[in-house]
Amino acid sequence: MLATGVVGAVDDPWIRWDWTTRHLDVIGAALSQHIELTVVAVGLGVLIALPLGLLAWRERVLRGPVISLTGILYTIPSLALFSLLIPITGLSILTAEIGLVSYTLLILIRNIVTGLDAVPAEVREAARGMGYRPRKQLFQVEIPLAIPSIMAGIRIATVTTIGLVTVTALIGEGGLGSLIYDGLLRDFKTPLLIGSVLSVALALVADLSLSGLQRVITPWSRGRATT
Amino acid sequence: MLLKRSSVLGASMVALALITTACGSTGGPASSSSSPKGTITIASFNFSESIILAHIYGGALKNKGYTVNYKDKLGNREIVEPALLSGQIDLYAGYAATDLTFAEGKLGVTADASSDAAHNVERLNAVLNPKGVKALDPSPAVDQNAFAVTKAEADSNHLVKLSDVSSVASGWTLGGPPECPQRPFCQPGLEQTYGLHFKGFKALDAGGPLTYAAFKSSAINIGLVFSSDGGISANNLVVLQDDKHLQQADNIVPLIRSAVDNSEVTSVLNSVDAKLNTIDLTNMNKSADVDKNDPTDIANTWVTSHGF
Repeated sequence: MLATGVVGAVDDPWIRWDWTTRHLDVIGAALSQHIELTVVAVGLGVLIALPLGLLAWRERVLRGPVISLTGILYTIPSLALFSLLIPITGLSILTAEIGLVSYTLLILIRNIVTGLDAVPAEVREAARGMGYRPRKQLFQVEIPLAIPSIMAGIRIATVTTIGLVTVTALIGEGGLGSLIYDGLLRDFKTPLLIGSVLSVALALVADLSLSGLQRVITPWSRGRATT
Repeated sequence: MLLKRSSVLGASMVALALITTACGSTGGPASSSSSPKGTITIASFNFSESIILAHIYGGALKNKGYTVNYKDKLGNREIVEPALLSGQIDLYAGYAATDLTFAEGKLGVTADASSDAAHNVERLNAVLNPKGVKALDPSPAVDQNAFAVTKAEADSNHLVKLSDVSSVASGWTLGGPPECPQRPFCQPGLEQTYGLHFKGFKALDAGGPLTYAAFKSSAINIGLVFSSDGGISANNLVVLQDDKHLQQADNIVPLIRSAVDNSEVTSVLNSVDAKLNTIDLTNMNKSADVDKNDPTDIANTWVTSHGF
């Protein structure tokens, strides 16, 4: 119950600009920690998901286990996962990142597998006909064609992670989540609002930038999209 | 008092953490000695008073040359106490009766917290010393269940102590959390210890916004609050003295890992504790929760103005 911090009788405006200007350094630090936690989580997530996704795609027997294992990870409530990890990895960035990375895996791996599956059989046939060896075919034909799906996975994983980072405030990290938590504990709307608005804005900016990046690295799909 | 503040969410999430702690790692000692005098990691519970106290302890220790790290708003006691026992943190500002009840509960020992702070701390040491944790001297500052009336009512009826209420109780309504009519520290205690039989009881919250609103609309005449809550003075209420010692003594007491404690640390923390009092605590809580000042700034001001 948070009620003891809630004193009720006093009017608290939605935003106090004087507090905001005095705490720009705190807000800036929270924002940059938020970005850092997100970038590391999605970056590591991609590094782990790529080989796992390729493996699951090529070895049909592994596909079920890999997808269901990451699916199980995904269904663990975030609060429970973080607190389960505390006795093992302590109250550290590591605890936060293990949790955050685990949640990206299902989204990323599914999209990698789906993207590679969706490469048309005739394209594959044509590549083989042109003398591509399997490795070259993978990197020059199949993966490039799967990029829209993989990028879609990265975008979803990024936006999801930005939301989840706020929960890590409960184990002493949290980026913008620490502002939200402070606001909840003290019934103080200003940090609550700033934390939430910046978190939403960050998700939007990240999603738009990634979709821009996707357009740059897959020029062919741009042409197709307009026809 | 913390038991009442803890959320169901926190409790359930931590039940899991406790199970894992019990099964596994004891955790290494917290990192030490990057500075000549060593490093002390101080944690706080998830409410302003605890953050302020952590930074008061930390400020005083830092001025003595210790390196201080903070784990602020770490959570409720179900998180913070195991973190201390496993050495992930070194120190937190505990509450004598609540910490004793909690520690005894985990051991399955019958809770024996009393209204005597010294007794509670002695028992705490008996329970925690074997686990490498010490309880230092209890502060006169107390955050515990208390009963408040409006200042106007206190003035017109000359009320200072709870026993003063006996002359007016029969016409009064008592406000408190829904469990108050069953809890020994609440309505039954007021009846048996003080002989106060009220006209009625109104179920509210434990010293939260509902209680304050009920005072404002005169729906209650007397209500349960926490003795150091910043809302008490902000809402023109006064706490009546518990002159017959109904409440367990929840005095502030530093709980520290023996591994980082030494005679200097002990004397710094004990002298901080000796200078803290409930009025300071209430004012600092009001500053944080009502006026929205930063708990860390409030703590630094206290440390400086008291010469630590």
